[in-house]
Amino acid sequence: MKFSAQTYAILSALAVFVGLPLLFYALGDAPRRTLLKEGISLITLLAFTMMLGQFFLARSNETLLSLFKPLQIQKVHKVIAYSAITIIFVHPVLIVLPRYFEGGIKPWDAFVTLITDFGNPGIVLGLIAWVVMVVLGVTVFFRRKLIPHFKLKYRGWRYFHGGLAVAFTVLALWHSIALGRHTDLAMSVFFIILAILGFAMLAHMYWGVRSPKPKPVSKGATS
Amino acid sequence: MTAPTEKPAPNRREFLALSGATAGAASLGMAAWGQNFVEVDVDAITNTDFATDVLVIGGGMAGLFAAVKAHDAGASTMIVSKGRLGSSGLTPFGKGFFVFDTDVETDTIDDFVDTVSRSALGTSNPAYTRQMAEHSMARAADLREWGYFDQTLSNRPFMKPIEDRDIPLLERVHVTHLIKEDGKIAGAAGFRNDAEETVTIRAKSVILCTGAGGFKPNGFPLGDLTHDGTIMAYEIGAKVTGKEWNDGHMTRSDNPAACYDGWGDMFERVPSTNGVEVHHDLGVDLNYTAYMTGNPVAGGPGAQPSDGDTIEVEGGPQTPEEFQRDFGAPGGDGEGGGPSSGEGGAPGAPPPGFEPSANVGGASAGMAIHKSEGLVPFDDRCASNIAGLYAAGDALGSHMSGGIYTQVGSSLTGSAVQGAIAGEAAAEYAETADTPVIQDVRISEIVDEILAPLRLDAGYGPAWVTQTLQGIMIPNFVLYIKKASMMTAALAYVEELRDHHVPMLRAANMHELRLAHETRNMILSAEMKMRASLMRTESRGSHYRLDYPDMDDVNWRAWINIYQGTDGSMQLEKQPFDTWPT
Amino acid sequence: MTIKSINGCIGCQECVKSCPCDVIRMEHGKAVIAYPADCQICHLCRMYCPVDAIEMSPEKSIPVIVPWG
Ligand SMILES: Cc1cc2nc3c(=O)[nH]c(=O)nc-3n(C[C@H](O)[C@H](O)[C@H](O)COP(=O)(O)OP(=O)(O)OC[C@H]3O[C@@H](n4cnc5c(N)ncnc54)[C@H](O)[C@@H]3O)c2cc1C
Ligand code: HEM
Ligand code: HEM
Ligand code: SF4
Ligand code: SF4
Repeated sequence: MKFSAQTYAILSALAVFVGLPLLFYALGDAPRRTLLKEGISLITLLAFTMMLGQFFLARSNETLLSLFKPLQIQKVHKVIAYSAITIIFVHPVLIVLPRYFEGGIKPWDAFVTLITDFGNPGIVLGLIAWVVMVVLGVTVFFRRKLIPHFKLKYRGWRYFHGGLAVAFTVLALWHSIALGRHTDLAMSVFFIILAILGFAMLAHMYWGVRSPKPKPVSKGATS
Repeated sequence: MTAPTEKPAPNRREFLALSGATAGAASLGMAAWGQNFVEVDVDAITNTDFATDVLVIGGGMAGLFAAVKAHDAGASTMIVSKGRLGSSGLTPFGKGFFVFDTDVETDTIDDFVDTVSRSALGTSNPAYTRQMAEHSMARAADLREWGYFDQTLSNRPFMKPIEDRDIPLLERVHVTHLIKEDGKIAGAAGFRNDAEETVTIRAKSVILCTGAGGFKPNGFPLGDLTHDGTIMAYEIGAKVTGKEWNDGHMTRSDNPAACYDGWGDMFERVPSTNGVEVHHDLGVDLNYTAYMTGNPVAGGPGAQPSDGDTIEVEGGPQTPEEFQRDFGAPGGDGEGGGPSSGEGGAPGAPPPGFEPSANVGGASAGMAIHKSEGLVPFDDRCASNIAGLYAAGDALGSHMSGGIYTQVGSSLTGSAVQGAIAGEAAAEYAETADTPVIQDVRISEIVDEILAPLRLDAGYGPAWVTQTLQGIMIPNFVLYIKKASMMTAALAYVEELRDHHVPMLRAANMHELRLAHETRNMILSAEMKMRASLMRTESRGSHYRLDYPDMDDVNWRAWINIYQGTDGSMQLEKQPFDTWPT
Repeated sequence: MTIKSINGCIGCQECVKSCPCDVIRMEHGKAVIAYPADCQICHLCRMYCPVDAIEMSPEKSIPVIVPWG
């Protein structure tokens, strides 16, 4: 039954990309802090798994392609990816935000210390990842202007986008393992497995035996 | 000190592994006598030498102003502190800064000085009380400009004037020695916490802003202060005063060591100013109640008045009628409440958030009333009896408030005001002083003394000796409710620690080296405390003797000064109130 | 026990510098609780930490000596 297969796909996606990180969070032994601080950590973690999830919400995921229309997939991919990017965009600020509500270092001073701690590889990786992510976000947003400008074919743009996504993921992954308070062994392994699966599917699509594919329904997708 | 010996070189790696494995037990502070598994190569420790006109030791409120004003008076100035500027000593925790605003206050400064003196039962030094009030507005204005009243943490606001002036700052350097040459101050020496390195600083003038100290008690953020400055100065001949007074802070009976929790939101508050409010606070009232009625004592600030049947305690420390307050706490009537908000972060109120709970005493054991203990001032500009050596703030026994807490919030102000005055006085002195010459042999002698605990093959763990000292000194019936027999007994123990344990304090690394020196200073402070308390055969302010419960104005309108005799023994003398020493 | 754990540390050393009692040291780029027995539970380290990585507990790791109570 096609419908139930789709439901099944959605449910299992939710279980993997929302359920598992929540589970590892719950099992981890990082101390629980205030609701606000834990909430911020959780949305950061979920935003990151959502980003990893984008590798599975693309044409590279053949199973999905067989269940949903490419346009549907593209739409969900965009919505989720933009939301996740927005959260991670402000993630460094979110880390210092709770200081606003308590005594101690002022949020702005904390923020400056945070983003200028260049001696720490985790921070440097995070900063580069952040820049790559912003580039990715901007290039996606203006892709219809950029594609002709760089004389790119749509396929070329996709390679560019996929490449940025891989680069960004490697950096961010490394960063979160190096720094994250909830990124313990279980969470790290989980992230790494997701990333490797995602990369593998992409590699398979780019370099693997190419099965004859239907042409995209509409070129460049809608906005 | 025992002779330096070779450390067991061949098995260094093994030792490191071993000490790692036993770190758990060692960090419990329970290891007494034992092998010293030295983790550093003592022979590879180097010395760095600095030179300056004025050296400020200490990075609290007093040190800040001393450095800024000495620099502004034209002297090349340097700060050295064992902790971080604005994040060590007591300064980070005080939140109420007293100002005498002539536009607001109805009384004159003369009235104020008199009121403080009445509450202090004559123990205050009016010159320093007056000076504090007169300069309070100017110092508050400086601090406001630097952003001190805008945030909880003081490091950034304190760094502002230091960075603007490019004043060199050595942090996490523990000073152990003052150096005197030809009867004049010549510099100081110590070691780094973070590097295997000793430090010597040649200076024409030194300002001690090392704060007060205690026996690393539980419940008061005093763990880094062990009267280091006082002891260093005493050892080069300076006179010390005020050791018989007691700060009587209490802490909660559950988790007594948790000072942050005990002080409610105080540590997270942004500093602010307050006006005149003279009390007679933080004596030993509750200690007496506990002594007479048993423990723990419910009550004190924030405590709920208990249900009717409060115990009346006869006798005990007296509060002058004019200054009696009722906290609605048990033992109330005239016994006059317990501690206020700790020198008044919150004027007139108990420490905010201080949960009603049973209390235990001794939170600040080993510390006297702020400004009542420290070097004896020889004039009203913070000079000691050693040429070129000044002290300010909690390191100066200015008796600004007397032997009891009087004006709320005046401790921070006093440190700021005295720091500034000492800074200017030291700069003036340095202008005409010669550059000191310190012989190399003297330097290497001092370096050897500093590193001695690292060279021991075996010895006493400083943490264990500290706990032993706490066990001797902190009991209520020794330190607070005093009597000759107990103090004589405690003194015998202290002398044993001084003569037998001090020379055998061991250290395996730079952290333990710090503990070893601190432990030694605490032991000498304990001796001072017992001797001065024995000598003052009366009760006055925060000094209470069960065997001499009354005030004796005939014999004791005098402070007690302590100095080292020619034979190295501790000597005590009286200095009448209202006089300067000669 | 006193200062309890450090999670999410970025190795900025603020806590090491701000601890009056020299409890914290750096190891492999991260802050570690080196000498918990000396912690005075003042929370300065926690308040100075830019990423709020330090978790405190009101309990002392060694027996506490008080005069009465
Ligand atoms: C909990 C609490 C609340 C308080 N509330 C108030 C209040 O509301 N209002 C008020 O006026 N006062 C208050 N006080 C008192 C006030 O904070 C102090 O009196 C004042 O800050 C002392 O400043 P200081 O500069 O003289 O000494 P400290 O601030 O104690 O500074 C001493 C400095 O010397 C350094 N040092 C010590 N030994 C060595 C050494 N061997 N080598 C190198 N450096 C060394 C230390 O690292 C430190 O930097 C409070 C104190 C506490 C603990
Ligand atoms: C977290 C960020 C993102 C990641 C990790 C990511 C990942 C990917 C991957 C791996 C692909 C497949 C590459 C290919 O088909 O060659 C892809 C395709 C695509 N992505 Fe993203 N992406 C992200 C954000 C976005 C955003 C914000 C948009 C918004 C428009 C977007 C739009 C697209 C489009 C249109 C495609 C092509 C899909 C298709 O042609 O079927 N992506 N993305
Ligand atoms: C694309 C960019 C980034 C991504 C995807 C990302 C993702 C993450 C993730 C998943 C964690 C783990 C959270 C946890 O374990 O609870 C983390 C932690 C952290 N990140 Fe980032 N991050 C990015 C950029 C940055 C940047 C630019 C900074 C600041 C300079 C930063 C600072 C931190 C810090 C300090 C932590 C540890 C704090 C904590 O775990 O609470 N990150 N990040
Ligand atoms: S709570 Fe205070 S003493 Fe303990 S580690 Fe933190 S700063 Fe140091
Ligand atoms: S202050 Fe915080 S982030 Fe910086 S080193 Fe310490 S624990 Fe790590």
